[in-house]
Amino acid sequence: MKRVIFLLIISLAVTGMSEIYAQEIKVPLRFDHYYTYEQVVEALKALHSAYPALTGIEEVGKSEEGRIIYALTINNPKTGEPLSKPGIYADGNIHGNEIQAGEVCLYLANRLLTNYGKLDDITQVVDRNVFYIIPVVNVDGRFHFFNDPNTPSTNRGLRIPVDDDRDGLFDEDPPDDLDGDGNITSMRKRDPHGRLRTDPEEPRLMIAVKPGEQGEWISLGQEGIDNDGDGLVNEDSEGYVDGNRNWGYNWAPPYVQNGSGLYPLSGTGIRAIADWMLKRPNIIMVFAFHNSGGMYLRGPSVKSAGELPPGDIAVYDHLGRNIEKIVPGYKYLISWKDLYATYGDFTDFTNNLLGSYSFVGELYQVGTETFDGTFLGQTDRSSIMAGDSNERERERLKFNDHLAQGELFREWAPYKHPEYGDIEIGGWVKMSTRLPHPFMLQDLIHRNASTVIYAAQNTPDVSLEITETTRLSGGLYRIRVRLHNRNAMPSVTYMTVKNRLYPLDIVTVKGSGVKVVSGGKIVNLYPEKIEYKEFRPGIQFCQVPGSGKVEYQFLVSGKGRLEVSYESAKAGTKKVEVTLK
Amino acid sequence: MQIKRSVRRGLICLLASLALAMLLPGTVSAQGGYSDPAGINRRIDQIRQKSGGLVKVHKLTVSHGGTDILLLEIGKKSDVPNPAVLVVGNLSGISPVTTEAALSLAGRIASDASLCSQLTWYVVPMGNPDAYSRYFSTPLYMDPGNHAPHNDDMDDQVDEDGFNDLDGNGIITMMRVKSPDGIWVPVASEPRLMRRADASKGEKGIYKIYSEGIDDDGDGQYNEDGTGGTDVNANFPHLFKYFDAKSGLFPGSAREAGELVKFAFAHPEIAMAVSFGRTNFFLVPPKGGRKGSVDYDNITIPEEVGKAMGFDVSRTYTMQEIMEAVQPMLPPGMTIDEGMIASYLGLGAVVNPMQEDLVFYNKISGEYRDYLKSRGVAGERFDPEDAKEGSFEMWAYYHLGVPVFSMDIWALNKLQEEKKESSGITLESLEKMTKEDFAALGEDKINTFLKERGAPAQYTAKMVMGLINSGQATPGQMAAMMKQMPAPAADEQKGDPMELAHLAFSDSQLGGKGFVNWKPFKHPTLGEAEIGGFVPWSGNTPPFTMVDSLLDLHLPFIFELVKKLPKLHITEAKAIEKGSGVYQIEVWIENNGYLPFPTAMGKRNKIPAPAVITLEGTGIEFLSGLKRTPLHDLAGNKSVKLTWLVKADKRSTLNINLISKQAGSDSRQINIGG
Repeated sequence: MKRVIFLLIISLAVTGMSEIYAQEIKVPLRFDHYYTYEQVVEALKALHSAYPALTGIEEVGKSEEGRIIYALTINNPKTGEPLSKPGIYADGNIHGNEIQAGEVCLYLANRLLTNYGKLDDITQVVDRNVFYIIPVVNVDGRFHFFNDPNTPSTNRGLRIPVDDDRDGLFDEDPPDDLDGDGNITSMRKRDPHGRLRTDPEEPRLMIAVKPGEQGEWISLGQEGIDNDGDGLVNEDSEGYVDGNRNWGYNWAPPYVQNGSGLYPLSGTGIRAIADWMLKRPNIIMVFAFHNSGGMYLRGPSVKSAGELPPGDIAVYDHLGRNIEKIVPGYKYLISWKDLYATYGDFTDFTNNLLGSYSFVGELYQVGTETFDGTFLGQTDRSSIMAGDSNERERERLKFNDHLAQGELFREWAPYKHPEYGDIEIGGWVKMSTRLPHPFMLQDLIHRNASTVIYAAQNTPDVSLEITETTRLSGGLYRIRVRLHNRNAMPSVTYMTVKNRLYPLDIVTVKGSGVKVVSGGKIVNLYPEKIEYKEFRPGIQFCQVPGSGKVEYQFLVSGKGRLEVSYESAKAGTKKVEVTLK
Repeated sequence: MQIKRSVRRGLICLLASLALAMLLPGTVSAQGGYSDPAGINRRIDQIRQKSGGLVKVHKLTVSHGGTDILLLEIGKKSDVPNPAVLVVGNLSGISPVTTEAALSLAGRIASDASLCSQLTWYVVPMGNPDAYSRYFSTPLYMDPGNHAPHNDDMDDQVDEDGFNDLDGNGIITMMRVKSPDGIWVPVASEPRLMRRADASKGEKGIYKIYSEGIDDDGDGQYNEDGTGGTDVNANFPHLFKYFDAKSGLFPGSAREAGELVKFAFAHPEIAMAVSFGRTNFFLVPPKGGRKGSVDYDNITIPEEVGKAMGFDVSRTYTMQEIMEAVQPMLPPGMTIDEGMIASYLGLGAVVNPMQEDLVFYNKISGEYRDYLKSRGVAGERFDPEDAKEGSFEMWAYYHLGVPVFSMDIWALNKLQEEKKESSGITLESLEKMTKEDFAALGEDKINTFLKERGAPAQYTAKMVMGLINSGQATPGQMAAMMKQMPAPAADEQKGDPMELAHLAFSDSQLGGKGFVNWKPFKHPTLGEAEIGGFVPWSGNTPPFTMVDSLLDLHLPFIFELVKKLPKLHITEAKAIEKGSGVYQIEVWIENNGYLPFPTAMGKRNKIPAPAVITLEGTGIEFLSGLKRTPLHDLAGNKSVKLTWLVKADKRSTLNINLISKQAGSDSRQINIGG
């Protein structure tokens, strides 16, 4: 009997959940709600079964709690194997609470696939590039963000227990959902000696008392009790290991930076993604989506790393300035300088160890939650750093009242707290503040997915041609070869060249009946200057700059077919032939 | 391409015939006695079999080349988990005697239960089997890499231009070739050795020196991209060197290192690490002096941060001052910690040993030197290597926060300088001299002394005596000045001192097998050449006959060392009645080990788990103090008093438990109430 009741409760619970997220997942995907982790997986599978020829779905690895991290690869096999094309990588939700990043990734996939063959611009990038998309990096975080009570900012880290308060116990005193509403909001207590009083313009807000004024409230922080009886409340919640401080480049230990993890790539999912990406050396562009603030950040993440090479800055500037227009109000910034220093960043890893241009996209500006247009599109560094002023909060509450019908703010309500006595609980709910209301989601994901497509259009597009075949005396031929890149990104990043991360692109001249007598780079055409390579002249190493060219001259003897080939880790492979008679 | 291939084919035929004729292994330097990787793993299992259950063997991981890396867990089962010592051997793979040391240490522990009744030992004797296996391979060469492919010359092929055993003796040595741009000349007094020509003295170089081999890939370079791989002992996450052919792509990219890191963090009972390798912290304690280490007592605040937060950027602050200043600026409920400040100000990681820790390093180093003296060890050996960036030794100290000691077991002894006329004056004796003492030395002796110290030519005895006589300088000042000058250089004309010692050792102890005499060779691209030089491994690998006595000498000191581990005890526990059922509980905790709990670095990095003192009893109410009290540190041979105020209405027994993963456990019972 007990068992029957138990099953009944379970089935009721499941029904309850499915009422909230009731729609069937079909392609084209809908973006009028947020996807749970399970729904993200279902959506990826739906995209794959709708476009089996253009997509591949893979298990990249597993999280600490055993959830699978999936990647969707979009590639047109008719135009070549994935590794032969400039790769675009986009991921999201490395911080568990930053869920709309996952929707941007799903939307990107949905946009590319449902418009392939319909819109020329989309068809071109799908044919020329390969897209690697991991919508949810922190799969445990997304799961727990949906399923557990949270603030908009909690459940960010990986599920690796850490003894935050150094008492020998791990994760023993998290916040508690005292009022059972599924959110962790705030606690306040009436106290004439408190430093806060009710905002006269908006009774749901509090303001600091001025000298001579009578206090009214004391703020008691996040909803919770002293679970471990150590006199502190909520001092050791889940984690904290931050997936985006755990990467293997310029990592620093936790005493230097909280949340680094005990060693680089200690997160099982993080390590799996690192290994997976390193097997895809064709990735030249990386987007990691986060929330919030409305920013596109490039590295370096710490000042001591020094500035990037000028050639790379030029590429970032070109992309960044255009992205600022695609996503109005968003700012293109430098991570350490304009935000704060971080060690072990994902994008530092990809920029330096994968040789990819890398952006962090910080999605959503809370200023767009506007009732009368105030604050719309206003972002500057001070507002990003300093949080919200009361003026802004009042505006947001009007937005909550008139556009979200009260969905975003939990009204203050009395509660009897075991340690604090009579208190009130209330404040912004978890699905607020850093997340757009679903009615605004479509605009956010379309614009930010468009930045990815724009970057894809800027990946290197190298053509190879033989510009001259001149017969000289003594059976010698002079062959000139030009590699031209019509797009903004070079075929190898300048950082890669500087660090000698991997070999440069290779130009080879060969043929069964011919011998390369000499060969070298044409460093100047007018007047002509050629830098001959003393050894192995038939093989040359190069970088093809963005919107530019490199040219080589070869002196060749013999007869027959001569093959010139170009091989690049990021810009694919090209071949041309000429017959020497 | 065509030409090169035929040359190579010719060489292979030549080598094959030579190999047959010369019965290769016999001629290669003394491997006799050392076990190859498979042999080491068999010996590990033999230790387990003989141990009567004291030893468990775990597979830590598999090396890049496919050899199991085994870990011996040695210890008696006990009710409370014991502290542990992590011992690693031969992580660089190029020091066979250190694998023997770790293995022998494990054997000694496994056969003496008293060494592991209160201490667990985790021993990894062979940390880098692939590099180690080169000692047993032909041709013989030395490289710390684990065979992971790496494109050293950044061309179109990987590992395509390694050494070639051109003279077919099974040993990779050197080639010398006469060349107009040569910079080397033979040492006149020992023509087997080479030295750099001193152009400032009008000398012209004769030879260029190459390692033995051909230009396999035809790019004009010799042996620039052979089978190397990642040096396991450069792949740890402290001061990791990026974009270096030997260190790997990122820290932990070599699983030999990565799995060791993972293991260590999974075992918070590890209270000490010992590395048998290339460094020797007993002889040369970890060195400081790196740029970039941040002194938490003198933090400079960057201007932009200072302005925004109201700090005076013209002075420095302590970490504590900054934390106190920042805390009130934060929203309620948020507490600041050092890591947040350090990260915000970009202070970075600690890169120099903490001063407090150098105290115990220097003390133990002194004891070790005394111990060697007492065992009659004579002669002055060459210094060990400095700890490398990305090495286990550094990582374990800075990241685990435990004391780390290392031993290299053996090094060549310095040659005794021939006694020439010596002044008998040292900087120390000079320091203590009076004006009169100095004058009494006489001009000849002072001239000799100045020459010995390599003083510039204008400093004649007459001139210096004048300075001192007139009171312009004291002998003490002169000594201080001389200390600032570089130590007198070895006589370069005579050759490199270590090479001379190596050669002497080869001649006297190895029957000359440590050096291959130069022999002419017709090189396919370099022309007339000579091949010869030191046999790899012969300078850092003692003949196996020496190994037992070396280990009998050095390993017992490890057992002395672990006696110094911190050990926490409850020395006193009492209840003082305050009336109306209120009691003050006083508990004294003592660290009766010499070493601190934890190290100063462990205090900084907050990795060592705190000791926890719990008070349990029925019907007890805490008026002040907590049921669980963490104790984060206690210096060696120091005590601390903890107090609680409790209320107990009925008679009750109070159980006081002390639990520390790294420093032992203890308990007491006292009666209160009633």
